[in-house]
Parts: sequence; C-alpha cells; structure tokens
Amino acid sequence: MNTDTHNKPRVAVHKFSSCDGCQLAFINLGEPLLELTKLVDILHFAEAGPVDEDATVDIAFIEGSVSTSDDLARLEKIRNNSTYVITIGACATSGGLQALRNMANTDDWGADLYANPSTLKSLDDSTPIKDHVKVDLELWGCPINQQQLLTAIRSLLFGVLPQEENDKVCMECKRQQTVCIMVTKNEACMGPVTRTGCGALCPKAGRDCFGCYGPAEKPNTHALANRFQGFGLASNEIARRFLFIHSDAESFHQEGQRWKTK
Amino acid sequence: MTDSKTININVPVLARVEGEGALDLTIKDQQITDLKLRIYEPPRYFEKFLEGRNYYDVPDTVARICGICPVAYQMSASHAIESIFDVTPSPWIRSMRRLFYCGEWIQSHSLHIHLLAAPDFLGFNSVIDMSSQFGDEVRRGFKLQTLGNDLVTLMGARSVHPVGVKIGGFTKAPDQKSVDNLLQRVSNARQDAIDLIHWLDTLDLADDEQDFVSVALHHSDEYPFNEGRIISDAGLDIQISEFENHFKETHRDHSTALHCSLNGKPYLVGPLARINLNARQFPDEVKNIMRELKAQFPSKNMFHSIIARAIEIYFCILEAESILTDYQPVNDPFMKVQPKAGTGFGCTEAPRGILWHRYDMDEQGCVSKANIIPPTSQNQSRIEEDLKTALIHFGLDKPKQDLQLHAEKVIRNYDPCISCATHFLNLNLVRNGQKENNTLETAFFPRFKNIKINKTVIIGIGSPQEKDEAGWQAIDVLKHNHHFIKLQNRGLTLIKLNRPGIMLTDSLRGFDHAVLIDATKPDISNTSLKWVDIHKIKSRGSLLSSHEIGITEALEWINSIESLPKDIALLGVSNFEPSQLTDIILSCIENKPKQ
Repeated sequence: MNTDTHNKPRVAVHKFSSCDGCQLAFINLGEPLLELTKLVDILHFAEAGPVDEDATVDIAFIEGSVSTSDDLARLEKIRNNSTYVITIGACATSGGLQALRNMANTDDWGADLYANPSTLKSLDDSTPIKDHVKVDLELWGCPINQQQLLTAIRSLLFGVLPQEENDKVCMECKRQQTVCIMVTKNEACMGPVTRTGCGALCPKAGRDCFGCYGPAEKPNTHALANRFQGFGLASNEIARRFLFIHSDAESFHQEGQRWKTK
Repeated sequence: MTDSKTININVPVLARVEGEGALDLTIKDQQITDLKLRIYEPPRYFEKFLEGRNYYDVPDTVARICGICPVAYQMSASHAIESIFDVTPSPWIRSMRRLFYCGEWIQSHSLHIHLLAAPDFLGFNSVIDMSSQFGDEVRRGFKLQTLGNDLVTLMGARSVHPVGVKIGGFTKAPDQKSVDNLLQRVSNARQDAIDLIHWLDTLDLADDEQDFVSVALHHSDEYPFNEGRIISDAGLDIQISEFENHFKETHRDHSTALHCSLNGKPYLVGPLARINLNARQFPDEVKNIMRELKAQFPSKNMFHSIIARAIEIYFCILEAESILTDYQPVNDPFMKVQPKAGTGFGCTEAPRGILWHRYDMDEQGCVSKANIIPPTSQNQSRIEEDLKTALIHFGLDKPKQDLQLHAEKVIRNYDPCISCATHFLNLNLVRNGQKENNTLETAFFPRFKNIKINKTVIIGIGSPQEKDEAGWQAIDVLKHNHHFIKLQNRGLTLIKLNRPGIMLTDSLRGFDHAVLIDATKPDISNTSLKWVDIHKIKSRGSLLSSHEIGITEALEWINSIESLPKDIALLGVSNFEPSQLTDIILSCIENKPKQ
C-alpha cells in the first residue's frame, strides 16, 4: 500500500444494519481524526460527510450486519471495489445483537412484522459480512474502540495485517490485577470465554463481563456454563448469557442452544 | 426555469445524519407534489429481543439501539423498571445520573454542531474540509466532544455502550482522583462553550419562522434530564404514564420508522423544544448569555436549533461542574432491587428529545412486553411538514442543487438519529393474520443461502406450441420488473430455452444457483405457482413437465455426467400474477421472508 502523501491510501467506511456506535471509533477520535485524514483519503463515510459509495478503495471498513436483500448487492460491490475488507464491531463480525432474530420463529414473525411487506426487503437472518464475501480482518467488540482501529490502520499502512487479539478477558484482568468478579461476587462472568480487547472494562467497573467482544480462542464454554449452574442459574438464564451480543458466533451459539433446550 | 417544469430531487444517501435515510422530492408547476423522507435503515426488532430477558440484561440491550445516545436508552429503561420495583434512586444516584446525561448531551451536541450541521452553514461538505479554514473552531468542537465522552466514561467505563449502569444505580462509584481531573477540565471548558454559542450566533442562518408545537419534559426545580411531566406550548401537561393517551404511532410505507403524532398532528422534540419550554429553569449564567444573542428564545425558527444545542452544552458544563464540585464517593452506588410484576414507564430527555419507554414485567423480573418510542420517530412528521414549508419559503424556482442543499440543511436541523428510529416497526401494527397469497403456500420452499448473484441463472423452459409458453412468459415478466432489472445489472442471468432436454447442461454450466421455471400440467395442481422438490420427483419420474423429456430426467442425466449447480430449484407455473411470480422467486434467491 502506498504511503506517499501525494497518493494516499483510500479508505471507505460503510454502514449496514447497526447502531452507528463503531463508526464513532472514528468520529470520537477528536483531533487525531484530522491527523488520520493526512495519512489516508476518506472517500466514503456518509455520517461524517463524504459520500461515494462506489469508490475504489484500499481499505473498506464495514459496520453492521446484512439484513436486507439490497445489502447483498451493496456488499458485493464493496468487495469488488476494495483491496482489504475489514469488519468493525459485533454486527459486521458475528451478526450482532440483532442476530437474536435468527433464532425466532420467522414464520410467525413474518405475519407480525410487516404492514406492507412490499416496502421492505428484510431477510430472515441478520448475518455477518463473512457469510457473504471474503473478509480480510475482523475487529471484534460491541463497540470496537479507537485503539483497535488505529492499530489496524497503522499496520495496514505498512502493508501488514495486524495480529489478532484473541486471548481471554481473564488474562487481561490478571495483567491489570483486577479482582475476580466470579470468585469474589459469584457473578456469572463471561470473562473466561470472551475475547479481550476491551481492557477488561466490566470487571474493573465491578461487574460481570457479558461477552461483548465475542468468543476468545478455544473457549471452554461448556465448563463455564456448568460453573454458572453451580451458582444456581436456571438453564434458560445460562442460555441467555451465551445468546446475547454474539448469539450467532459459533461457540456461544452452540452453548446457548444446549442450555436452552434443557 | 419555467413554471411547467418538473423537478425531481432524489438524495439517495443523506450524508451527515446518523443512520440511513433518503429524500424524494417532486415539484411540478411550482407545487410540491411528492415529498418523502425515506428511512430505509432496516428494523432491528429490539422490543422483541427484550421479551423474556431478565431486568439486569435490559440496560446492556437497549444501549445497542443507538451508539450516539446509549445513555438515554439506559436511563429511560432504568427509571421505568425501578418504578415497577418500587425503588427510588438515592440523591447520590439521581445526581450522578444527571452528570452522566450531561456527558451525553455535550458529546452528542458537539458532534452534531461540528460534524453534521456547521459545514452546511459555512459551505463545506464535511468537517474535514471545514477544518482547513476553521481549524480553531473545529479543534474546540472536538475538545468539547471528547470532554462529553469522558464524562460518560467516568460513570460508564466507556462512552459508547457504557457498562457502568445497572437497574438501581451504577456498578461503581468513581474515585476522587478521576473526579478531580475531570472537574478541572470541565471548568476550563466554560469559556469554550460561551465562545461556541457566540460563534454560532454569527452564522448566517436562514430566517424561517414556522408554526409548530414544542413538546418536552418539564421539572419544577431544574432543567429536565431524567424526570418531569410532559408538557407542550399548546397546553399539554401530563404524566409520562399518560403518553399513550395523547400520542399515536402509525406506519407509512416509505419509512421503516413509525411516525408519532400528538392528537393527530406533527410536533417537535429536542433542544429547541426544550429551550422553548424550559428556558426559565436555566441558571442565571445561561440566561445572561441568551440575552446577548441575536437569536432569541422561545423561537419558531428551526435553524436556531444549532444555537439551542450550544446553549445546552454550556448549561451541561455548569451543571457538571456543580455536581463534580460537590462529589463524594459512596460505598453503595446502587439501590438493591427486588423484582416485582407490573407495568412501568420511563421518559427522559435524550439529546434529540424525549425518549419514552414502557415495560411490562413478570414476577421473576423478566420483560413480558416492551415499547420504546425514540425522538426521531416523533420528529419525522414534523421534518416532512417543515420541508414543505421551508422549501416554499426558500423558493421553489431556485436551482436544483440549492433546493437540495436547503432540504438537507432542514433535515439536519433535527439531528435525526435514524438508527434509533427504526427499531420499532413491529410495534402497534395491526396484526393481519390472514395470509393473502395462498397460492404461494407450499410444503416445500427452497431458499438459497450465500447467493452470488453473478453466478445465478433463471431459466424459463417452454415451447411455442401447445400452450407451453408459461416458462417464457415468466422470464418476460422478470425482464421488465424493476427489481430484477437491478439484479440483472448485478449479474443475474435470465434465459429462455426451447425444450432443451439434456442440452440444459450447457445453460447451467458455470452457475452456482439456478431457478428453472416450467409449465405445470394443469391437472396435477390447482395452484398457479408451485415449488417442486426435485429430489422427491426424481424417483417417481417426471410428473411435472408437459415436455417429452422432462426437466427432472434431464437433471438426472446431467448429474451423472457433470455436477449440477450447488442450488437448484424448480418452479412450476401455469396462470400467474406477475407480482406473485417476482415475490416467490425473490423469496428463494434473496431469502426474503415468506409472506
């Protein structure tokens, strides 16, 4: 990728079904956002102003999940126009909180939801970007933070893909010497199976992790769920712990379903 | 420009708004004949997700409705649920919630002023362009935005989807050192906020007085954040629990957001409405500044909204300063709660206006029903009404690009948060249990997953003889359907074949997904459109086709020589309505919900 200031790398920020919270990782940068625009050309970023959906770019950031048929068409075009496709946040990476609808009885919902279905083209499922096109890098988190974003951009400016952060929140707690929520409060903390990257925010704030960064590498969800049962959580409550922000991420989905049907 | 000219303005992607919206406007003979603020952001059904969830999941769930105003969602939900559990927040919690809200208003308003609205008034496309000429102003804006975010972070550990909120209060009390650091920065920001107000007051804002009703919370002792009655400048004065008696939501086809009206009419919520109704509650420092301004409040000029935001930023800085100055850490930053069944209401002032929640909870403390009405749904009718008036005032004979920019400016005044507005489509819709297209009802219903449209082919099979043209007619219908024209532009292939037999293989080669359309023998089915399960039919030989060599035999032949496309579906047709045909095929290739 070219870092020559006269020929800056081109960047687009696209939005699908989402809350806009991950785009705020750019917008909340403050003054560094202006610095960033000296390093890269932002060609499409509707919320911040530039609109050129069809621009050919070096990096396309995608927020949000695929949930309409029009999304599929847009997504294909973005993939064709981009060297790197990077998903930002839970929705783009695992389908997000709205993927909870994937487990609903859509036949029932279909009749419920649309007064006039011809005006809407909502798909049955809310699916991550990687289900439809090749994704070069995933930034997990609901929402992602600025550090993740800048790390990714800086690495790509040097032509390398950043290293994936996928160890557990527990490790981060230990590094920061945060008191263990599960041990001291008997709270059903998801830290043992959740990917780090947040800085162990919840345990530091005195509460249980609820898994908003998605599954860590090799998560032992089974052992953790059994521990939750030991705390006295009912099966459906255990299921809800796993079926929340990342209900469609494979390991959380499977563990959740296991307890849901008990 | 002559009077008889028709001008179409179509803004497919509205820039500098939160979420996805578009504007369609048609002017004919100097009259607006069509005006639609189209919100096409897909609905996300949050209220459905809340059903069955425990109360302690609610703040983390509703925050995800909006990345820009998660605090508002957490606050309205907390108040509603606490009212069911008979919990009254302690004075410490009440005060910290006001501080939390100050942070959100400061960040959201600063973001809107500098990134979304000001470029309009100064003639730039974005804050990035604007920063070349207005570097100091932009940096000041970013500084305020960061300060707001840091105030939210003080209580919530992060500014987007804060994690420090629980039903009953906060998970942790901030330590004195963090509070002292922030207090210093808040005090230093006073002058920035004052300068911001004066700067915006010098902008050349359009003078466009309009007649509208303002609605906001009102509290007798303070400028409203979390508590109060809902009042209007047309005499409304109700408890938040009475909301549904006066406000109604309706669904319009062009928008995935519901429109909310007050006694059948549009109304305004948000900073301008709040100031119009609550300016007396401001401390003297704010009132004194307001007296010096060119823009005077109460105001009926929507373009004064940007100044109203700046005034509220200044108020929030004073309020935060006072709360942080009096701050004392506590051991119990939350009230203990005991779940109870009941119905509760929460209404707080999100940056964009009142955000109303209603929850029905069962004895275990699980949500049985939720209803959430965000500010942008409430403003949507007002935006459309404003656009009509504002564009007439502006002059319908103006050049198209000027009209478009003015329309966008008008919309951005409301700081519409489209992500917020669209998650509620399923609510309050009349349930229409009757399924209309019974002909589409079949036991077998193919749906292609992970479809690549440029690897998709739809083949109509027929012949000119023996009334065997249905497959071809189907292709003709698809060729002229706007949706399929778009799909063809993206690479969809449509083919007509004349009784291909095993030569079908030539047409399938290279495709991953195929829909075959063939005439149904009238005697085997009384429905006009029917999916046929190829696998079932294979063993019994061809029952479907009226051709000598049926499709299923052909497919079996092909499969024995080379592999078939990954997805293959066979649709039997006889007499059909074009719309039924397009719907049934879309449901297969685009995974659209069954109707």
